[in-house]
Amino acid sequence: MSTVVERQTPGRYARLMTTLLRETLRLDVWVNRLYPTDFNPLYYTGGLSNLFLFTLVLSGIFLFFYYDASLGEAFASVQYITDRVPYGGIVRGVHRYAADGFIVAILLHLLRNWFTDRHLFARDNPWISGMFLLLFGGFIGFTGYQLVWDERALTRLFIGGLGISDGTLVRILFLHIGPATALYAFLWWHYVRLRHPKIWPPGVWVLFCVGLVFLLAGVVPMTRETIPAAAPAAHPTSFPMDVFFLIPFWLLNFLPAGVVVLLLVALFVGGLAIPYASRRETPVEMGVRHSGVAQVIDGNCTGCELCYYDCPYNAIVMVPSPGHRSLLAVVIESRCVECGICIGACPFEALELPKFLERDVLRQVAEALRPGSGQAVRA
Amino acid sequence: MTQVPKVIGFICDWSVDLKPLSDGGRLRELPNVRVVQVPCSGFVRPDWLEEALNRGADGVFVTGCPYGDCLNREGNFLMRDRIDQLQRRLQRRKVDTARIGMLAFGLHDGAAFLAEVKAFVDRIAVLPPAQPARTAGRPAVAQPAGTPEGERT
Repeated sequence: MSTVVERQTPGRYARLMTTLLRETLRLDVWVNRLYPTDFNPLYYTGGLSNLFLFTLVLSGIFLFFYYDASLGEAFASVQYITDRVPYGGIVRGVHRYAADGFIVAILLHLLRNWFTDRHLFARDNPWISGMFLLLFGGFIGFTGYQLVWDERALTRLFIGGLGISDGTLVRILFLHIGPATALYAFLWWHYVRLRHPKIWPPGVWVLFCVGLVFLLAGVVPMTRETIPAAAPAAHPTSFPMDVFFLIPFWLLNFLPAGVVVLLLVALFVGGLAIPYASRRETPVEMGVRHSGVAQVIDGNCTGCELCYYDCPYNAIVMVPSPGHRSLLAVVIESRCVECGICIGACPFEALELPKFLERDVLRQVAEALRPGSGQAVRA
Repeated sequence: MTQVPKVIGFICDWSVDLKPLSDGGRLRELPNVRVVQVPCSGFVRPDWLEEALNRGADGVFVTGCPYGDCLNREGNFLMRDRIDQLQRRLQRRKVDTARIGMLAFGLHDGAAFLAEVKAFVDRIAVLPPAQPARTAGRPAVAQPAGTPEGERT
């Protein structure tokens, strides 16, 4: 296959994305000077997100034991957790700072996988589920701020019914924990097409991140923000901001509420459209990386399962087969990203990329060895 | 060995940027190194490396992305394992393992890549000439040139 590609004049978006790709990888070069590649934290943004989520679940269960979801007791129970429960203030801080870490990690994960083209073709499923994870993550953070029931919580969005009632905080508590549970359903969707997903970061980064969260919880305790308890008559005009979860409320300073909601919806829908709406490269520009969905040559397949084990996207399934073999490999076309890893896995020449055949490779090898060679080249 | 060794490199299209480095499929600074661009380092079938050695290449190498950063998640790790297996397999046929290499370089690592390839070529250049026709050649019917060794995972 010719590797010389005629570049058409690419669009502005394509040029921007190519620049972002190159700069992302240049950043990697710098980080790799500090760490061996096995420990580059930017290679483990997904695992770091999962680590923070796990921390959130554990600390959240601890807080759930003490939290009282009633109008009269909610603020007092949070104060009780902070001041009276042993290490309660620390756990509260862990819950808060791990949430910030979670958002930072998933945003890094999103940008990195966007800029390096890891969302295209069959990898749209992790992208779409990831957008839902981001949406739910932000929503959970928002309801978490309401649960504290200080003045910051009086953003009457999910009150329901006739104003604030006894059911209000129960409802919000459900809207905090229910979507948090749903995160794991989305995570299943996120992982379902990946073989050996990198779920956890390397051990040293686990220790570092957990340690950092605990350190922050101890050094910058939650009690530094003294916000009065929510009162039905209060109309707070200002409160300490959280840059990760309460940005929409900051926007309310400049924009009407409807516009902010429209903006969020547009961001989400636009995010969903990213894998489909535009491409950094045309198929011609992709060259060898766009070689067609892998094809199984049924006659050569022995049913050994090697391609099945090596495919990183679970795109190959083994189906029962009559005849001399018991299994036959079948490529699920909608999952194949045309990487060709199964071709390298197959010692029986039973798999081919249609636009980059084995004989093309061997022809290039033969050409390379022909000129000036004293040895006869086998035809 | 007096003559310049003939080396074939399989380069992942996503790893080191070959545009400034190569001309007509050969490295500009090392014209004896023929580069074959592949969609992912994991695409390379170890048989092809063996085939290249059998046909008279003095060395073969595969270049993937930095470990952990494979675009296709696992291609370079899988290829590293396969190269290890191929080296063990060919060692039994008295092929020096230095003739088969696995490199990992990112898009911007052109200089480091060239240096590593030079070192690879230099290591091969001092080896005694390879025995010609190490195997009886490929049979007419497509069959595995070397049977895979046991379970792989």
